[in-house]
Formats: sequence, structure tokens, C-alpha cells
Amino acid sequence: MDEKYQYLTIMGLKFNTANCISTLLTALLVFLFVFFTSRKLAMKPGKGQNLLEYLIDFTNGIVKGIMPGDEGKPFYFYIFVLFTFILFSNTLGLFLEVKINGVTFTKSPTADPMVTMPLAMVTLLMSHYYSVEKWGFKGYLSNYIRPVGFLLPINLIEEFTNFLTLSLRLYGNIFAGEVLIGLLLNVASSFGILTAVVAAPMTMIWQGFSVFIGAIQAYVFAILSCVYFSRKLERE
Amino acid sequence: MANGLVIAANASLGDSIFLIVTFILLMWLVKHFAWGPVTKMMDKRAQKISDDLDGAAKSRSQAEQMAAQRQSELKNSKTEAIQIVNTAKENGEKSRQEIVTGAQTEAAQLKSKAKAEAEQAKTDALNSAREDVGQIAVNIAEALIKKDLNADDQKELIDAYIKGLTNADETR
Repeated sequence: MDEKYQYLTIMGLKFNTANCISTLLTALLVFLFVFFTSRKLAMKPGKGQNLLEYLIDFTNGIVKGIMPGDEGKPFYFYIFVLFTFILFSNTLGLFLEVKINGVTFTKSPTADPMVTMPLAMVTLLMSHYYSVEKWGFKGYLSNYIRPVGFLLPINLIEEFTNFLTLSLRLYGNIFAGEVLIGLLLNVASSFGILTAVVAAPMTMIWQGFSVFIGAIQAYVFAILSCVYFSRKLERE
Repeated sequence: MANGLVIAANASLGDSIFLIVTFILLMWLVKHFAWGPVTKMMDKRAQKISDDLDGAAKSRSQAEQMAAQRQSELKNSKTEAIQIVNTAKENGEKSRQEIVTGAQTEAAQLKSKAKAEAEQAKTDALNSAREDVGQIAVNIAEALIKKDLNADDQKELIDAYIKGLTNADETR
């Protein structure tokens, strides 16, 4: 795809405006969602509160499914925000693609590896942090030669593959979805009204499927984060 | 600003930093505005529900206990009622018997008393009659002594007197 982005360089760091704007937009949408669903909290939940509580129960269920018991408690909140954020950002690019003079300004922020990698990084850093907190630094290091010493290189490589698979899986799925939507839009605008009529239902179908993929990927990201947390907290 | 704008097509590390900052900010905001109060409310509700369930189980067992108690009491009260009726019957029978026997004895007593009184009256009357006869005899003797009478007069007088006595006795 010949997508063009505008870049800003501030203090030697390069910023992709499309990513920044969409990240900010997603964060804003997530915040507005939880803000307006959590007004007027009551013992008998209203519509918004019900929705939010259902979502919280769902993400808590993800954590509980992998870490039943108290060791999962610190992750409930992180997994909730992570899941909601990824879900919103996966869905954002499906209906919001702003292009000005051929330069894209909004898209799914998760359709860029530079966005998915820090998310995976946060998860893995958290897993290392909680591992050190639980076992002590020596215990944390000794986990790399468990169950047997010669697995040390494999355990070390695993840390990097975990990071790469976690971030690139999300990126690949969402990026592919965006590419196909871009292609369908190209088809729609190629030969006037005829191709637009043909492309419209296909776009709709693909958008629906992409919502499904986006939700699945958010779920997978959340569940894998939990798996990495629990692996660091358990000893075979 | 204008010379900061560059159009290029390679990776931008700034996005990662921007995302992390945004994400942490979002976490803070969500925690402050939604997660805290909502989870608090959910915990409160869970607590309330478990309390309510405990209370319901408790009151249910209490109600069952009370129902059983009432049932047994009902049974007891039935037997008690039968007992009461029986004792009342017994008591009635007894008091009837007592009254009858009391009346009978009283009647017998009265009868015997009356008999005794009649006897007494009869003896009294006889005694007084005897005394009267003695008195009369004395009176007659006095009268005879006062009046000089011959044997025929005397006999006539006594006969007349006795006749009067028997007459008086008959009229009595």
C-alpha cells in the first residue's frame, strides 16, 4: 500500500501524526465510554453500568481463567484497560479513515508495529516486574534455568519470541484488515458508480468480519498477557 | 515547526513513547473515574447478595422450624382438647354422682331427723299427758277431799272425768 503519513521530528524522535492522533482518539473514546457508563452508579445497575460491569466481569474472567485465586488480582485492572483499548483501536480504523491530500491522519493505531510493540513491551515488563517482586531477583534469574539448566538459551529466546509474536500478531491481523479495506475503497472509486455498487456490500462484509477479528485479537492479546504473567509467577 | 515536518516512510520511535504515555494516562483516568467506583459497587453488591442469601437461608430454616413447632403444637392441642373434654366429662359425672349421693344422704338424714323429732314429740306428749293425768288425779283428790261425797257420787264423778279425758284424747 502506498499510504503516506506526515511525520514530526521533535528532539530527534520521529512521530507519525496518524498514529499519535488515532492513539489519542482511541484513548479519548475509551475514556468517554467508561466515563459515561460509570455515571450514577447504583446497587441496581442501569443500562450503562450494566454494560461496563459486564465488560469488567469479562476481562476479570479472562484473568481468573488463567490465574484463579489471589495472584491474578493485580492484573484485573491492567487487563481491563488493555482489552478495552485494543478493542477500540482495532475497530477505529474500520470506520474512520481520514485522508487529506493523500496523507492519512487517522487509522487503527494497532495497524502499526510501533504501536503494538510498546503494548507487548508493557505486558512483558510487567510480567518481569511481578516475577522479581514474587521470587526476589535471584529467584527471578533462577527461573531461567528451570526446569533444567540446558534450557537457558531456549528460555532466553522465548522472551524475545514472546514479545515479537504478541506484538506482530496483533499488528498483522489489523494491518491486513486495513489493507483490504483500502483496496476495496480503491475498487469502489475506480470506475465510478458501477464499481461502488459492487464494492459496497463487500466492504460491509469485510468490515463486519474485521470487527470480529478485532475483538478476537483483543481477546487473544489479553489472554496471552495473562499467560505470560502466570508463567512468570508459577514454577513447575 | 515547518522544518520539523518531514515526510518519510520509516519507523517512528516517537509513536511508541507517545502510546506508552497515552496508555498510562488512560489507565490513571479510567482507574480514577470508572474502575474504582464500579469495582467498589460490584464488591458491595456481591457482599449484599451473599448477605441476603445467608439471611434468606437463615429465615427459611427459622420458618421451617416454626412450622414444625406449630404442627407439633397443633397435634398436642388436639390431644389436649380431647383430654380436657374427657376430664370435663369425668368431672361432670363425678359431681353428678356426688350431688346425687349428697342429696340422697341429706334426704335420709332429714328423714331420720324428722322421725327422731316425731318420736321425741310423741314421748314428750305422753310424758306431759302422764304428768297431766297425775295432776288431774291430784286435783280430783283435792276436790274430793274438799267435798264430802258418797261412793256413788265419787264413782260418777270419776267416770265423768275419764269420759271427758277420753273425749279429749280422741279430739287430740
